Amino acid sequence: MAKIVLEGVDKLFKGKPRPAVESLDLEVEDGEFLVMVGPSGCGKTTTLRMIAGFETPTHGVIRIGGKAMNNVLPKDRNLAMVFQNYALFPHMSVAKNLSFGMKARREPRAKINKDVETIASMLGIDSLLDRKPSELSGGERQRVALGRALLRRPEAFLMDEPLSNLDAALRVQMRLEIKRIHTQFPVTTVYVTHDQVEAMTMADRIALMNAGRLQQTAVPESIYDHPANAFVAGFIGTPKINFFTGTVVRDGGTPRVSFLECSCSVNGSAGAALEKLSSSTVTVGFRPEEIRVAPEGGGRLPTAKCVVEMVEPLGPETNVVARCGDQLFVCRTSARSGLEAGDAVTMEFDTSQMKLFDAESGGSLE
Amino acid sequence: MGTAVTAKEVGGETQGVEASQVADVPKGSLVRRTKRQRFILDGIIVLVGLAFILPMLWLLDAAFSNNASQAMSVPQLTFGNFKAAIAAGAGGAIKNSLYLAIVSTFIATVVSILAAYVLSRRRVPLKGAMLIVVLFLTGLPITLLLIPIYVMYVHLGWDNSPFYTSVALAATSVPFAIWLLKNFIDQVPREFEEAAAIEGAGGVRILWRIVIPLATPGIFVAAILTFINSWGAFLLPLVIDANPQNTPGALGIYEFMSANGRVQFGPLSAYAILFSLPVIVLYLISTRWLHGGFAFAGGVKG
Repeated sequence: MAKIVLEGVDKLFKGKPRPAVESLDLEVEDGEFLVMVGPSGCGKTTTLRMIAGFETPTHGVIRIGGKAMNNVLPKDRNLAMVFQNYALFPHMSVAKNLSFGMKARREPRAKINKDVETIASMLGIDSLLDRKPSELSGGERQRVALGRALLRRPEAFLMDEPLSNLDAALRVQMRLEIKRIHTQFPVTTVYVTHDQVEAMTMADRIALMNAGRLQQTAVPESIYDHPANAFVAGFIGTPKINFFTGTVVRDGGTPRVSFLECSCSVNGSAGAALEKLSSSTVTVGFRPEEIRVAPEGGGRLPTAKCVVEMVEPLGPETNVVARCGDQLFVCRTSARSGLEAGDAVTMEFDTSQMKLFDAESGGSLE
Repeated sequence: MGTAVTAKEVGGETQGVEASQVADVPKGSLVRRTKRQRFILDGIIVLVGLAFILPMLWLLDAAFSNNASQAMSVPQLTFGNFKAAIAAGAGGAIKNSLYLAIVSTFIATVVSILAAYVLSRRRVPLKGAMLIVVLFLTGLPITLLLIPIYVMYVHLGWDNSPFYTSVALAATSVPFAIWLLKNFIDQVPREFEEAAAIEGAGGVRILWRIVIPLATPGIFVAAILTFINSWGAFLLPLVIDANPQNTPGALGIYEFMSANGRVQFGPLSAYAILFSLPVIVLYLISTRWLHGGFAFAGGVKG
């Protein structure tokens, strides 16, 4: 088990205008399950490949277990990797696939046979040992890939979107399976995915990347409740957070922000940040569950009169797409809201959860 | 099949066609033709086929006849021609050809696998230029090489040696084999090698256990082409090996043709058939093998 540290890592590919990875500083603690998440092209897979040794950093150092690994070959890094496409050797049986690494490392035959059987039965693939990968289903292939990684007994696991080729139901099942395995074998794991649901449900900590840069590293609840910038706020959370243009009013007292038809005062650290801000516009963010149909007779929260554009029933809850002026937003209500397209409705905004971002840089103003 | 009315394109215009005119077409066929069109096409195919088959039939006929001539006749089924051909040295010549073909195929295959793997996978300075040179060399006619190789071989004392003749033959096949194998290895997904590397496998193990098994169809094709190229070798053995005991089959047939003053079609045809047999067997084996197909299915999704 080992700690993985990336210090000032850059990766530039020849012919590409911007770096694939830029100034990355990341630490993965011993035994931690870190999920690297971000949109396509954000640099998460490149980072994983640099940790594995398939790519060399242009600048910076990668340390595994305290040792600098920049010049160490993949085979000597003592890592295990689960690929997006499983990369099971098609000409070998499942048993041979599982034992390939142990044979390459010249482990005793008796130990190889015993360990292969143990892991195979743990993963429920012991009846498949004589089959070839082409005879397996997607889920079975994935288990074989996991088994091969487990048999490596590595210092760290690297997983490159291992669930993205599975159907939705199987994905949920395998998510639990991987977490269960991690609980049983708490090996340092770096898990790459573009799916924020996987990130939120599986991670001890999330590292969110965009356009080659690390946006925020935090536990899932922190990333959700205290996003470092508008990108993070928009990426994590389904349906996506609603952004409104807000105007800052500074009249000597507590600064106020007005958006849509609402206006509210901003206290605390956000208020102090607003005071320092030179611009008079900010971006205001409300998550769908922070906007609700206002109760009869109004409440303490600011409200805005809106028109319902569309209602999306999801079963346990309903997404209501509403329009106020020229701004469209989504709010999440309990099921059977009784609303229909075209209804006029007053929505209230839970400003205690309001998120403020710099309109230009996107940075959080908390 | 063929019962619906279909549109037919004639000289660029589309016209409706009567159902009875449309011949039965195999399921999945993209083209529907009229009965007349099919008749004409079949006729052309038969004629072309005959143009190829008739000489072969003549060869078989002549080999088994007592009085073989340039005309076709009903064969009398005698083995005398074959005995005459073997007496003239066909057996020895075929053995020599086997030696040359097998050794040169082995050398060429090993050399081209290693070269193709490196050219496919590793960063090599001037790789682009090297590949263009390899491609250029595939078209190099052997006549250009004859004299330089002869001079070099005599200087090195490598002339009159079946082994070094095999080396020269291998060299003539290597450029094409490299090109073929490099393109084949390019198709093997790199993920397999990465997976093997991270498992702790070194370069040689990866090549031997992963790349070569997955590139087997390509290796097979390269080996067969080298074998056939060396089997029919004429000019190189003629020039660099003067020892009559090392005469390979193609050379042997040539010498046999003018051996007795006039051409003896019977024994000559028998000699030719004997000489062709190993290649025919190889072809039959290889078509069975190559039907095994490409083994990437299941290893990598998509």
